[in-house]
Amino acid sequence: MKLNNKILLSNTLLTLIVFALSSIGIYYLVNSTVYGELDNHLLQHKIDLINQIDEDASSLQDIKELGILGSYEWIDIQKYDGTVAPNANDFATIDTMRNPNKEIEKKSYRRLTTAINVNDTYYTIRLYEEVASWEHISRTILLSVLAGLLIWILLLYVLNQFVLDKVLAPFYETVSKLEHISNPSDLTETFPDTTTYEINVLNRALNSMMHQIRSSFEDQKQFIQNASHELLTPLSIIRQKAEKILSNADALDEQTIKAAGNIQDTAVRLSRLSNALLLISRIENRQYSLDEDVEITNITENVIDELSDFIEMKQLTMHKEFDCTITVKGNSELIRATIYNIIQNAIKYTPSGASIFLRTSCDEEQRIFSVLDEGPGIPQEFIDSVFDRFQKTQNHTHGFDDNSPGLGLSIVQSICRLHDFNCSAHNRPDKGAEVSIQF
Amino acid sequence: MRALIVEDEPLLIEDLEECLLEEQFNVDLAQKLTKASDLVAAEEYDLILLDLGLPDGDGLDLLKTIKNDHQETAVIIITARSETEDKVKGLELGSDDYLAKPFPIAELRARIHAVMRRKYNINDNQIAAGPVKLNVDHIKLLVNDEPMEVTETEYKMMRYLMLNKNKTITRIALAEHIWGSKIDDRFSLDFINSHMKNIRKKLSAAGVENLIKTVYGVGYKLTTYETE
Repeated sequence: MKLNNKILLSNTLLTLIVFALSSIGIYYLVNSTVYGELDNHLLQHKIDLINQIDEDASSLQDIKELGILGSYEWIDIQKYDGTVAPNANDFATIDTMRNPNKEIEKKSYRRLTTAINVNDTYYTIRLYEEVASWEHISRTILLSVLAGLLIWILLLYVLNQFVLDKVLAPFYETVSKLEHISNPSDLTETFPDTTTYEINVLNRALNSMMHQIRSSFEDQKQFIQNASHELLTPLSIIRQKAEKILSNADALDEQTIKAAGNIQDTAVRLSRLSNALLLISRIENRQYSLDEDVEITNITENVIDELSDFIEMKQLTMHKEFDCTITVKGNSELIRATIYNIIQNAIKYTPSGASIFLRTSCDEEQRIFSVLDEGPGIPQEFIDSVFDRFQKTQNHTHGFDDNSPGLGLSIVQSICRLHDFNCSAHNRPDKGAEVSIQF
Repeated sequence: MRALIVEDEPLLIEDLEECLLEEQFNVDLAQKLTKASDLVAAEEYDLILLDLGLPDGDGLDLLKTIKNDHQETAVIIITARSETEDKVKGLELGSDDYLAKPFPIAELRARIHAVMRRKYNINDNQIAAGPVKLNVDHIKLLVNDEPMEVTETEYKMMRYLMLNKNKTITRIALAEHIWGSKIDDRFSLDFINSHMKNIRKKLSAAGVENLIKTVYGVGYKLTTYETE
């Protein structure tokens, strides 16, 4: 969940809780105020009644008969029946009908039950006050307060959203930049200064960190490039010396010849390794121009020609299924190296007499070149890492002692990255592997 | 045998490459000095065709490096500069020959042959090892004066072994001289074995045994004794 939505949601939840709580609070407050007022009223009536009776005790009988005092109160006077203690005030809210003959619906009344003493006789007095009119007032108050609150909450929500969007905009800018970085060489973005302290701190930290990563990455690439270049000359000297020893082998014993042979082999292998690393770092340092028009099928034919010796020797059948010609912008030398590596791999792993399929397919969205072999396929544990540097398959079923570092597909990947191609490798359902480049 | 073309003109590259391929070389290309110096540092070439005027530097510097680190490599300078000074400088620095553009490919071919003869210390384009005679300039192999059918790869192998007769040639060097360094050696060495088996079979069918010895675990040696 995004930060601003989270804040907004929690804000809204909080205000809703406050709203609910305050609604309940207000309801009780208004209610208790209304009933308090009603009770005061009733007590006032009681005092009026007592006062009147004190002046004129006989009026009790009149009031009893009339059932009212003043204009609208309803008074019920009876002989003391013990429902309340003398002089105690007992309030209650009841639904009743004042006059069952005339009325059809019960109404809500506040009732004060009390007992008074008139000429040593106790009477139970019930004073009624209609709640309805008061309740109307209380409901109006309640509703208007709640409506106000609700409007306030909605406003707050909209306002929050707007303000949050504004306030968090630089933060989201930073986040979206970060999301687009996939490679250390992409670390060229700088994060701008903002008016928010925390985001400034974040952006500055990111800027300096990215600068450090970028420069150490550049240094590393430059170092690999220089180191692999510098290694080549001494390696070739070692190799030459070993060859010199081997050239007059007559004078040497078998052991020396073997040792010199091994030295030469190792030197050759090391210089190839350095060479591959040099190529990769030159690619990653973008030292190749990518402005040639390269025709994939042509290059493929070329590569097959170059590798024909091996294809014939292994009696492989090359099935060319070129549905379309693919022309891309790039560096022909590198693209050739890519196709060479992929096809060489396929030849390497395909058993003698089997087939290799070379395909191009095009539709509106994508153009794909793929090489399918009938070899043992990619071992499951390497399927995700075949393009990684120094990843080699330890599968010996293909009959080669394969312990040379697997830089071939890593070169393929570097070249594809440079060109923004997409390369992938997976096993075919029946047998063999498929390596494809999506242009 | 391996050759490197250092040249920036695409059309000329095509001609040069074609010529060298016809001469059964394995050819690498460099259109820039940086690429060329990477290759020169890493690989052992028998022949380098070097253009002095490159977009990113002077070919004479590369020539110095080559002659410093790879005395065995033959270098033919190809350039549009026809000034005597350059020619002299190049030759002084150790280039084996000099060609001014434009030149007919036939001339280049002849010079390559001459340079290779000098490099391998032979007088003739035909070299002999016992009953086997081989033409260095085109695919032709004679055994006891009878022509023997060989494939291009077999010819390349035989030529390399005969030019280096009495020397032990490691399999990796042999593979490199046929296919260049792009090929995965763990892969190509098996092919060397198969090709060698075929060559021996053919030689043996022609009545020649034990011309090529296997130096176990290292490579091969073509031995002849008749020179003494």
